[in-house]
Amino acid sequence: MSEIAVSIEHVSKKFRLYHERNQSIKSAIMRGRTSVHEDFWALKDVGFEVPVGSTFGLIGSNGSGKSTLLKCLAKIYYPETGSITYNGKIAALLEVGSGFHPELSGRENIFLNGSILGMSKKEITGKFDEIVDFSGVEQFIDQPVKNYSSGMYVRLGFSVAINVNPDILVVDEVLAVGDTEFQAKCAQKFVDFKNEGRTVILVSHSMESVRDMCDSAAWLRHGELVRVGPADETITAYLESLPGASAA
Amino acid sequence: MRYLKEVLESRELLANLTLREIRGQYKRTIFGQLWSLVNPLASMLVYTLVFALIIRVQPEAGDPSGLDIFAVWLLCGLLPWTFFSNVVQQGMGSILGNVGLVQKVYFARIVLPLSKVGSVGYNWLFEMGVLVVVLVICGAFVWPWLPLVVVTMVLLAIFAAGLALMLAVANVHFRDTQYFVSIIMQIWMYLTPIIYPISLVATQSEKYGGLFGTTVSILDLYRINPLERFVAVFRQLLYDNRWPDPQDFLLCVIWALAAFTVGLWIFRRSERGLAEAL
Repeated sequence: MSEIAVSIEHVSKKFRLYHERNQSIKSAIMRGRTSVHEDFWALKDVGFEVPVGSTFGLIGSNGSGKSTLLKCLAKIYYPETGSITYNGKIAALLEVGSGFHPELSGRENIFLNGSILGMSKKEITGKFDEIVDFSGVEQFIDQPVKNYSSGMYVRLGFSVAINVNPDILVVDEVLAVGDTEFQAKCAQKFVDFKNEGRTVILVSHSMESVRDMCDSAAWLRHGELVRVGPADETITAYLESLPGASAA
Repeated sequence: MRYLKEVLESRELLANLTLREIRGQYKRTIFGQLWSLVNPLASMLVYTLVFALIIRVQPEAGDPSGLDIFAVWLLCGLLPWTFFSNVVQQGMGSILGNVGLVQKVYFARIVLPLSKVGSVGYNWLFEMGVLVVVLVICGAFVWPWLPLVVVTMVLLAIFAAGLALMLAVANVHFRDTQYFVSIIMQIWMYLTPIIYPISLVATQSEKYGGLFGTTVSILDLYRINPLERFVAVFRQLLYDNRWPDPQDFLLCVIWALAAFTVGLWIFRRSERGLAEAL
């Protein structure tokens, strides 16, 4: 637990709340370019480290900044201050089936989605069978994905993403996909991940799954880091802070 | 430099996104790829009817090819223009049209507008292929000029890509851009000698002479238009079958590089903020 996979230092992220936004040229010219806005800090000086090979949970109520932090980790947003350093290849799974084209077949979409997630053609070809196998949609792999059931769609997307094999995997609540059997498969995949010494960072509202899967957790409230440490303690502290502390 | 390397590393993604556009485009149509010919053919018919048969516009015969067919002459300019206009307009909307991707996955965003260049370019290549066949049937000796045609096509693609990059960013911040540009494109087309020969402009220009007491004529202003140069080069190669005017060709190169450099610079500067601004 000595090596650090991701180090987050003093990260702050600001959004502008527009009271009046000049998104048309007319208003920009008529009123001068000044838009009326106030700053909203979605993240305030957040900093912690995620050790290599750990499974790390981010918890907190809605609007606490978890997703913003995740998007900063995924390099979709860039923090105003502070820095995030990675030690290894990172892949983010914020949505399954990103960029799927409904008219294309499952096969074509695997290649498309895989390359969007940063895999090379060679890698995808090498893992193709594994991906199809994991998704359990072999039978329909040459059908256009618009004909897939929503479960199949999500399973295929998830299978591609999980096979990107990054050193660090960032996951937003996409665990709750598919049927029980598929969920068990996913959970197993995360355990494999961990055993291979890879790092997983996940956001979840399900305290049970965080408690099951994570070694450590960070608790965010209103964009501020309240507590970081072993998963159990953090979760307990978080649950106790909730009014009518009984939900699990 | 590092940025260019990243873009280069995304070339597989670029290829895949381009394929997505191409494959998805004519799915479930009976005529498939043939549809990409229908649009230019329809405009060709309309313009030929109006401009050659009613208004009686007469471009000079190809020299030395000897071709004298308005419809073919028109296509030599119209096909490059349609490509250009489609790339600019589709590339401009490419970021906005892929909100889901931009907000959920990290990748070099530049591949989105560039993939439009690829997919529109693919259609264009198909159209130009047909045009070459038509030219050969009409008796043009076009073969030796094809390599230069391809080079000019690449130059036009680079020029269009540059504009698309700038406008894609502008469109994210100001949604007015797309409506504005579609009007500009119409005006631009009529300011380019596509459906009428530039000699008509030259005649008018001579009548007025220098503007405001200077030696600058209307024609000089008219020829600032980069597309005028591109269309001229395409016609010299395809319709006339001769070496392009060196000045025209050089200006095409300069315009292409300038537009692309500025486009790339603007895009790179704003790339990081795109996910938020959407």
